[in-house]
Amino acid sequence: MFGSKKRKKPQRDPHINKLIEIVGEKEVLYEDADLLSYDCDGFTVHKAMPKAVVFPANTEEVAAIVRYCSTNNIPFLARGAGTGLSGGAIPLNREVIISLVKMKHLLSVDYENRQAVVQPGFVNLKLTNSISDKGYYYAPDPSSQYVCTIGGNVAENAGGAHCLKYGVTTNHILGLEVVLPNGEIIEISEAGVPDSPGYDVMGLLTGSEGTLGVVTKITVRILKNPEGKQTVLAYFDHIEDGSRAVSDIISAGIVPAALEMMDKTAIEGVEAGAYPVGHPDDIEALLLIEVDGIKAGISEQIEEILNVCRGRNVREVKVAESEEERGRWWANRKTGFGAMGAISPDYLVQDGVIPRSRLPEVLENIYEISRESGLRIANIFHAGDGNLHPLILFDSRKPGETEKALKAGTACLKACSDVGGSITGEHGVGIEKKEEMRFVFTDEELEAQIKIREVFNPDDLLNKGKLFPTPSRCMDVKKIVKDTVAVQ
Amino acid sequence: MLKEMAAPEKTAPCSSAGLSNYFSADHPDEDKWADCVHCGMCLEACPTYLETGQEQHSPRGRVHLIKSVAEGKIQLKEQFADPVFQCLDCRACTTACPADVDVGGLIEEARGQVRQAMPLKGWKGAVSTFFLKGLFPHQERMHTVSGLLKFYQKSGLQKAVRTIGALKVMPDHLASMESIMPELQTPVQKKYKDVDVIPTKGVPKARVSMLTGCIMDVMFGDINQSTIDVLTHNDNEVTIPKKQTCCGALHVHAGDREKGRKLAKQNIEAFENSEKVVVNAAGCGCALKEYPELFKDEPQWKERAEVFAEKVEDISKYLYDTGYEKPRSSLNKKITYHDACHLAHGQGVRHEPRQLLKDIPGVEYTELSNADTCCGSAGIYNITNPEMAEAVLDRKMENVPEDVEMISMGNPGCMLQMAMGVRKYGRKSEIVHTVQLLDWAYQKDEQNAGLEKSIAVAGEEEA
Repeated sequence: MFGSKKRKKPQRDPHINKLIEIVGEKEVLYEDADLLSYDCDGFTVHKAMPKAVVFPANTEEVAAIVRYCSTNNIPFLARGAGTGLSGGAIPLNREVIISLVKMKHLLSVDYENRQAVVQPGFVNLKLTNSISDKGYYYAPDPSSQYVCTIGGNVAENAGGAHCLKYGVTTNHILGLEVVLPNGEIIEISEAGVPDSPGYDVMGLLTGSEGTLGVVTKITVRILKNPEGKQTVLAYFDHIEDGSRAVSDIISAGIVPAALEMMDKTAIEGVEAGAYPVGHPDDIEALLLIEVDGIKAGISEQIEEILNVCRGRNVREVKVAESEEERGRWWANRKTGFGAMGAISPDYLVQDGVIPRSRLPEVLENIYEISRESGLRIANIFHAGDGNLHPLILFDSRKPGETEKALKAGTACLKACSDVGGSITGEHGVGIEKKEEMRFVFTDEELEAQIKIREVFNPDDLLNKGKLFPTPSRCMDVKKIVKDTVAVQ
Repeated sequence: MLKEMAAPEKTAPCSSAGLSNYFSADHPDEDKWADCVHCGMCLEACPTYLETGQEQHSPRGRVHLIKSVAEGKIQLKEQFADPVFQCLDCRACTTACPADVDVGGLIEEARGQVRQAMPLKGWKGAVSTFFLKGLFPHQERMHTVSGLLKFYQKSGLQKAVRTIGALKVMPDHLASMESIMPELQTPVQKKYKDVDVIPTKGVPKARVSMLTGCIMDVMFGDINQSTIDVLTHNDNEVTIPKKQTCCGALHVHAGDREKGRKLAKQNIEAFENSEKVVVNAAGCGCALKEYPELFKDEPQWKERAEVFAEKVEDISKYLYDTGYEKPRSSLNKKITYHDACHLAHGQGVRHEPRQLLKDIPGVEYTELSNADTCCGSAGIYNITNPEMAEAVLDRKMENVPEDVEMISMGNPGCMLQMAMGVRKYGRKSEIVHTVQLLDWAYQKDEQNAGLEKSIAVAGEEEA
């Protein structure tokens, strides 16, 4: 030991050896350069390195990893495709990341009972693609559906453009298999029978942002394709007219399958991206409206929508003439967030919810925040259910801009909660909005929720530091970011 | 240990503090990675991510690492080199990317840096030097090889080697490559050595120059011949500029950008007087179109490269854009089409070759699912990364219907790789180049016309 100048190769961490024993050498990443790609998810403002990334192949391996971590007091968290926008999969505490991407199979489809069983790493859109030849689909359609996993959707209770009519993820989950933080495997409503008696534990787990358990199997509802479908694109010279049209459509008694809005900056972004449609560059807003259902009623609804738009001074309004055209409109909308990369090096997306009728004033407030901060804000969102997505465009390479963007984001959420809204519609709280939880909950309400977490996750080893503000520990993440930004 | 883990990692905003761990010359372009917002929409498009499930082998992961070298977080070492070279360079991510991030360009720049920091050694180095430096850029040596290969085939040596199992001493993947070696024809470079302009039968409507390619001309001389015949059939005179050389795609993919630049300059000069440069190998075409990327530090050459790149066109797109005669004779085959990555993702050519096929009477066209997913050939990737290449090929073959008689495509690398796939899975499908099918249909037209003519003549005589 002493006297020996020859440096020995550093011994591998015994915990890593144990994880390798569980899943095999190839399924564990533990060297820094390999871990670097896991230092953030779709929310890139915060970055932190995990201890390891493990790739279990089945529920038993997940349970063994969880058991090992929990008995040895090692923090851990679950990760899917890592497309989350609130930082839910970022390892703030040097966690062992349990990546579920190798549990990616469609286990069974029961057309008679309209349900399918999938593993958590199964990609959202693949479900629809696998059953579409039989005329079925899976309704929740987050914009990242090409890549995001259904396990991640459950954790975040993901929404999407068509959730206005069909509801978000929680409305489509019929059963779950979950590994609890102590390693125990439980089944909730195994047969997929709805309305089981007792507390709605499934509802509690859906949207718990990976703080209550690791989902390893999901039974979902599948739907028959609607008989008919039509899509409308409407261009407005004034954003206020566009916003008013949204309320008018809903108050006319129409429930569109989707009712989406983009403002001028958002349109600039999507037109600069990979899927441009050729929207005019001098309009202030566009609406993308889809109606589906029984064929007979659709054209009447479309006619009514066209009338509403005309009543609000629409410049141009058109109905998609082909499936190909409809597809182009949707690709343009669904790749909207990523397309912002074409006009800005970084963005921060917020996820406020407001009562629809307050849309004009809240948008005006958001533009005021943009003017004040000097940062551009693009709005591309689910107008129909009042779910705003202000995208704050910034350049993290410029000193102070990250901090400014965070501040502007908080201000946007404040503007939403001030009109009786909420701070998240579908992206989750994660790291990003945990402080803003105070806008909508009192200390007592937060405490009550933390007590629920403690029932499942008493040692707070699973996805620690997410979802709730952590005042007692003085480890406000945003403060750390501010400090590091200030130092630079 | 546990104490250390309990302390939260200090989080930092992503910012790049210069290009710290890169060599200053020809470093990856910061503006390219600034476009990436880490949304992850590229993940499911990436064959190596689908295979490994690991983010460092995904496009956004690679971009993240490339950025991390600039930020000084990692070094130009093995663990950076591995993900960067594991990339197939298939460009599927550029199609999937909402922000048009040039991942392919970044990867190639990063490879250039890696090769500066850690030159290739061992058998990979030897293979690379042999093919990339010693062989492809030298036409006369390629012709010699062609001659030797032909001798190998004709002399019965090939048969002997296959029978006695000498192949067993070769590494598996090289042996399986040998087994699908096509029957060789005379390279057109050699055949038209003394011809300046290959004439049309009728009045010429245009004159085009052809890039013969190195592998294409040696391994698939017949496809080059078909290309010439189809072009002249459609009233295009063809020239084969003598000074042309290897396109350099493989060099640039392998990180040897210096050699890539040399070859690029030679080609730019060779085709200076050409109005149109027609290419039948997707990989070459894509590389030629990307020459400007190589000359960031040489503005004059960059300008010339841009002029040159504008002239380059894939054969299928050229025919589609300028018009072609629809054949009248039927081929009566069930055919599917595989998108070469560098045609679909690299050049955006998808519709044109399909239309060519559909215009041939008797073709029963079947669309391949995931037609634009890489087959694993990827230049010499199947030689340098055989395991991954094979896994990617397996995935590809799963999508090929058992009953297709022909699989058509527009790239020689894909043709060799798909031929291996067909052989491995015991399929009967023939691997063909799109332009060959058109050529065969025209040939049939001519035979039929000849037959009709002789019948007509006979008829007249009888009368």
